[in-house]
Amino acid sequence: MAGLRDDAQWIVLMGFIVSFSLFFVAIVINQSTVVGQTTAEAVIEFPKNDIRGMRDMIIQSEFLVDEGVFNNKTNVQNDIKTLSLHRQNSVVSFSSRNPTGSDPHTYIEIHYSNGVTAYNETWRSN
Amino acid sequence: MVMSENGQLYTIEGIAAALILLVTAFIVVNSTSVYTQGDTHINDMQLELLGSDALSMLNTAPNSSFGKSPLQTIVETDDSALFRTLFLNTINNTTGPGGDRIQYKANVTYVDKDGFVSTLPLSDSPHPFVGGEHAVRVSQWVIVEKRFPDCSAGSCSGKHAVLVEVLLWRD
Repeated sequence: MAGLRDDAQWIVLMGFIVSFSLFFVAIVINQSTVVGQTTAEAVIEFPKNDIRGMRDMIIQSEFLVDEGVFNNKTNVQNDIKTLSLHRQNSVVSFSSRNPTGSDPHTYIEIHYSNGVTAYNETWRSN
Repeated sequence: MVMSENGQLYTIEGIAAALILLVTAFIVVNSTSVYTQGDTHINDMQLELLGSDALSMLNTAPNSSFGKSPLQTIVETDDSALFRTLFLNTINNTTGPGGDRIQYKANVTYVDKDGFVSTLPLSDSPHPFVGGEHAVRVSQWVIVEKRFPDCSAGSCSGKHAVLVEVLLWRD
């Protein structure tokens, strides 16, 4: 390094290190909000509560009975399908199999789809 | 080497400055919008979970008995005031002094006897919903012994499923 004064090399090096690390930190902070956003949006978009509510109602409705002039079971099950379609943008269908002599369990097949998330289950009573 | 070596440090500095400028330009161009806390939907997610939990609590019979849940009774008797008391107490409860500032508007959606879907207002909070709020929606299924809209004939009753929907926002 002929003709170059090398008195302050240490300070210059420190200057470089500080400025580059500031940029690195800025990039990390910049990404952190985006990460929080995608996480929150994923939680909001997944219809966890819709699926839970619909599943709970279908299982409850299975144990209602049509008695006299009150078609309780039929009415409630039709209400579930209609309201799911109208208010939760989801197609719900289900069918059940009653206990037989060899198998004392009730089975319900539940299907749910809102075009993005699909949920299928075969529920068995205990 | 006949080349002069005079400006090495300045050259390095120049290259470093160019790199910093390039990175700055990249960050600026790359961020199409600036995200603030409100844009990240984290608050919405928390509000939605809170509201949904509050409705679940209201729809649980006392002591997990087989009786009617408070929400079921409220929907059957159209008790707007009781819903307001119970719901506001639940969602605005905080550990610190004073409560939270969450407001709500609740509707009941039902299928009438001709198969049409309609909605009736159930209850709302002191601050009315005017449309400019940033609200989230939560819902809860209820089985009620009532045919909506109100019907007095015997065959109109029996059990029906209705959907209680609540809009929630923070003032």
